[in-house]
Amino acid sequence: MSADRRVAVIDYGLANIRSVVNALNCFDVDVTVVDNGAGLSDAGRIVLPGVGSFDAGMRGLRERGHLEALQRRVMAAGVPYLGICLGMQFLFDGSAEGSAAGLGWVKGKVKRFPSGNGQPKVPHVGWNEVEIRPSTELMAPLESRTDFYFVHSYYAPLADTEAIATGICDYGVRFCAALERDNIAAVQFHPEKSQLGGMKLLETFLQADG
Amino acid sequence: MSVVQKHRLIASLLVYNGDVVQTRRFRPTNNVGSAFTAVDFFNGWTVDEIIVLEISKDDEHRARFEEIVEGLSRRCFVPLTVGGKIRDLERVRAYTRAGADKVAVNTAALERPALIGEIAERFGNQCVVVSIDARRNAEMPSGYEAVADRGRQPSGRDARAWAEEAARLGAGEILLNEIEHDGDKRGYDLDLVRLISDAVSIPVIAFGGVANWDHLVEGVRRGHAHAVAAGNIFHYTEHSTKKAKEHMAAAGLPVRGTTFYKVAMPRRPSYRPF
Repeated sequence: MSADRRVAVIDYGLANIRSVVNALNCFDVDVTVVDNGAGLSDAGRIVLPGVGSFDAGMRGLRERGHLEALQRRVMAAGVPYLGICLGMQFLFDGSAEGSAAGLGWVKGKVKRFPSGNGQPKVPHVGWNEVEIRPSTELMAPLESRTDFYFVHSYYAPLADTEAIATGICDYGVRFCAALERDNIAAVQFHPEKSQLGGMKLLETFLQADG
Repeated sequence: MSVVQKHRLIASLLVYNGDVVQTRRFRPTNNVGSAFTAVDFFNGWTVDEIIVLEISKDDEHRARFEEIVEGLSRRCFVPLTVGGKIRDLERVRAYTRAGADKVAVNTAALERPALIGEIAERFGNQCVVVSIDARRNAEMPSGYEAVADRGRQPSGRDARAWAEEAARLGAGEILLNEIEHDGDKRGYDLDLVRLISDAVSIPVIAFGGVANWDHLVEGVRRGHAHAVAAGNIFHYTEHSTKKAKEHMAAAGLPVRGTTFYKVAMPRRPSYRPF
């Protein structure tokens, strides 16, 4: 079975999605930027990039009809999903950043890095090493310790993700940098800014059988 | 607990009237061609970031420069810092729209320091790189003065005091150059780099004067810089960024791994001679 070439990148009006689209466009796929839920109906793969605040992001997703469409396409129909940065955090029940409910596909709540004496600076910006658990097709091509580029203040706790974490990063606290469950994959880092390691991950996601 | 931060290797491109140039003491010396060729040549997938600065005398080449930034963002999958002629948020927006992850401000911030906070508030601290061009001046408390307008205009500000103020106002990083060292192949001005790196808690990127890979190591070891940047040296050496990175690693500096992953990117924009 060949991989579906139709890739939808969700635009909810707040995030700069250009870099992600540029990166995906290097591969032999048809990338469509989808600014409302109806556009997801024939997508073979769905990518949700995101930066900005959790509540505003969830509101953007709801107002544009993405929430229902995601539920239908990703949860019910099993279309492969890749969440990037905030697109990972949306998967949880909620976030310490706000009061909006998340998608709730993964139990637990996104937390803020502790700040203050002796703690590394927040936000966590820059390259950091991720311990790869190469148990999945997506992570298998990567070395056991691969550097990726991060920009974030909130993180998915390992306590909620121990069973599904495929990448772990240490920034004062050890946190979940990548996770996978069935057709859902998500990364806290930015593969589109992480040189060849990031491009390898995107390539693998796009080639996997849906 | 402390976190080991890896030292970044940054390639910088200076764009003058639409072309990439090499400079010496802040004056363009020779044209090295298009930004895209330069990037395809030194990319090698090992640089950790790219900084591209517009250094033309006037603003006539703005549209061409934004096209260059956009072109770079289609083929470089690393954080991209863009600077030159930023006086207000409108230009910051234009650069981020074109693909910048961060912007570098210099002269306008010296004239109106509040600009740093304005950018930080709208785009986040991590987006603001304050670029400081310094020159030795014995009358300044730190021995260095910050100079505006590509080295043409003394600001009257002490370079160290300015770095501290910039950090306080919300700068995420400082890009530091010394005018006499620029393009002079003596390595960084290590006294200056150490002076500023020790004074602020935000990362300092050393820039200007690199002629061999040991200069990069010195920037970190003796200058205490968090990241090291170079421009001229990368243009004429094949696989130069890879060699630079390997040299830093061999010297014992923690750097990002340079594993080469084979990735088929059939539609990545490629070099088109024009």
